Amino acid sequence: MWSASPINTTGVDVRTVLIKDFEKEYPKIHVTLVSAPTDTDTNRATLATEISGGSSTPDVFMGDVIWPAQFGEHGLALPLSDYLPSSFFAQFAPGLVSGASYKGKVYGSPMFEDQGFLYYRKDLLAKEGMSVPTTWQQLEADSVKLVHAGLVKYGFVWEGDSYEGLTCDFMEYLTDAGGSVTNSSYTSASLNSPAANTALTFMRSLITSGASPSAVTTFQEPQAMTAFADGQAAFLRNWDYAWADSQTPSTSKVVGKVGVAPLPTFAGQSYPGYSNIGGWNLYINPHSKNIAADLDFIKFMASNEAQDVLSVQYSEIPTTTAVRDSSAVIAENPVLATVPKTRLIARPAGTPNYPALSTAIYTNINAALAGSTSVSSALSAAQSQATTALTSPAGGL
Amino acid sequence: MTSVSSAAEPAPASAPLVGRHDVNRKRMARLGWVFSAPALIFVAAVTIFPIVYSVVMSLSNVTVTGNGFKLSGVTGSNYTLVLKNSTWHYALGFTIVYTLITVAVELVIGTLIALVLQRLTAGRGWMMALLLIPWSMITVINAELWLYVFNGIYGVMDAIFNAVGLGHPNFLGTNDPAIISLMIADIWKTTPFVAIIVLAGLVMLPGDIFEAAEVDGSSGWSTFWRITVPLLRPTLALAVMFRVLQAFGLFDLPYVMTGGGPGTATTSLAILGYDAMFKNLSFGPGAAVATTTALLVLLGCLISLRTFRVQVGKEDM
Repeated sequence: MWSASPINTTGVDVRTVLIKDFEKEYPKIHVTLVSAPTDTDTNRATLATEISGGSSTPDVFMGDVIWPAQFGEHGLALPLSDYLPSSFFAQFAPGLVSGASYKGKVYGSPMFEDQGFLYYRKDLLAKEGMSVPTTWQQLEADSVKLVHAGLVKYGFVWEGDSYEGLTCDFMEYLTDAGGSVTNSSYTSASLNSPAANTALTFMRSLITSGASPSAVTTFQEPQAMTAFADGQAAFLRNWDYAWADSQTPSTSKVVGKVGVAPLPTFAGQSYPGYSNIGGWNLYINPHSKNIAADLDFIKFMASNEAQDVLSVQYSEIPTTTAVRDSSAVIAENPVLATVPKTRLIARPAGTPNYPALSTAIYTNINAALAGSTSVSSALSAAQSQATTALTSPAGGL
Repeated sequence: MTSVSSAAEPAPASAPLVGRHDVNRKRMARLGWVFSAPALIFVAAVTIFPIVYSVVMSLSNVTVTGNGFKLSGVTGSNYTLVLKNSTWHYALGFTIVYTLITVAVELVIGTLIALVLQRLTAGRGWMMALLLIPWSMITVINAELWLYVFNGIYGVMDAIFNAVGLGHPNFLGTNDPAIISLMIADIWKTTPFVAIIVLAGLVMLPGDIFEAAEVDGSSGWSTFWRITVPLLRPTLALAVMFRVLQAFGLFDLPYVMTGGGPGTATTSLAILGYDAMFKNLSFGPGAAVATTTALLVLLGCLISLRTFRVQVGKEDM
């Protein structure tokens, strides 16, 4: 049984395509798909409950890249490095395997990678004679201009809801401003810095200036995607799947009108801005009764065949260097061609208390975005809650 | 339901068959226990055991492993952690205020509806069926429905507000509007419940008192406050108690509609406990949150009963 949240939202479900291809190659193994919630927090809560309760299903689950530390610490995922040779892990792009490790053991097999991209309406930019913005300030000004010109209802849509996705967006602005969340050994937090202040002040100004709708504080990925694909927004920050979604005629009104670029950065910093690393790994339930079949499934998903399906047909970023570097794949769509140009920043997920740390970030950032607290009080609250998360045994409450 | 009958029943007159009557009674009682034992054991297993285990968890250091919980030591540190936590303070205040406001509003509107229903002759059945539709909805479906209504981009409320010139308020993304939206969703769904209970109490009231009041020249308003409400006190107390119990456990509406946000504005005690346990996997503090919430609810119910000055079984006039 494979638990996975939906990967694409338009067209044929890529999960069923992959299962069909796997069952063709391994006719004796039958895979049942269990559709997991789209909200990554709900997904994790469901899996943590099931597995710590001793359930033997799901056998394999597709999990977020930020789970290895928490799941490894609590024994909720099988250490794959005990079952698979190091040559298996060598086929992945650098950095992905270390992100899936905790205390020297690898818990996840990278399935596909995600990054933040800037999607823009090239037809609207052409109409107003604008070029693709390379700074956040330019993006804000362009958004306001397009909204006032009546060409589009909203300028820039992104993920501002009080959930994990906001931590991703915030990491991008924070790193662009030169800041960080914690020190490298995860012993102290650095959220009350001038860089964090710059980042959060800018995010709030997107709303107050009218570049982004105030409802963006309730947006997760589906809401932002819908606003853009319905033709109501000029700029979108979203993951790589947004390209395929925006080019599917049955659900998108902006087919052929979309361009992709790396994210902007603050004026005075070197372009491009940082993209947060997302993506999904495959983990095995330690209580699974079909470990051999699970390993076959994981090996299949890392094979060229599966990685080609994910990248060429569904514009997900592949994790194996063989497929990433193949010119056929790079030529396939603008997202994959943009990947070599981006700079990456990971979330501070190397601590098992990461959920509490992330909660400290996103609840306070969201409060500041909603205007209910000032930027400085939001950041000092985030700093003290993050410190509790890092220093107390179970991460606090 | 508490009864409003006057003086206790007269003691049974001593009968020559008293001895045999007693033995028979005891036998019947024992038989009753035997027959209900399976059901009682089942109820104990699914309610008492988890509750006791939860209290034990709240008093130990809990580690989550792949093979279940490991409890070690007896400690009050989970409780001190909870009591010092600022989010818990907020959640406590929010949950109490939420309970007070929603229960008060539902009580008023529910009683008004019940009074109207009492006077309806034709069509009362239809009206009650219509009224019970919100109550019969699954709570999560109700939350999803109101999530659509209050959506900041394509919601009905947004369209209405914009049409009357009030712009695009971000209902679920701003603190007070988010709380009010939750209250509206809750009140819409559970007012019929209060109305039905109050109606049941109203139809049981003896009619002769009202006739006497009318003959004495009492106005409608005065009749309501001096006769109806005091007689209804046990019914109202029951409705309030049910509602306080439910409202204090507020979970599904914030979980679906706001995720506890914006920031932590709609984080109720139940949401906080859920996040602690299932997101952070800190089951000790989470269990402490659950236990303190249960104790507070008990306290809340006792207070509400006291307010209505009701003692079960005794009459009140």
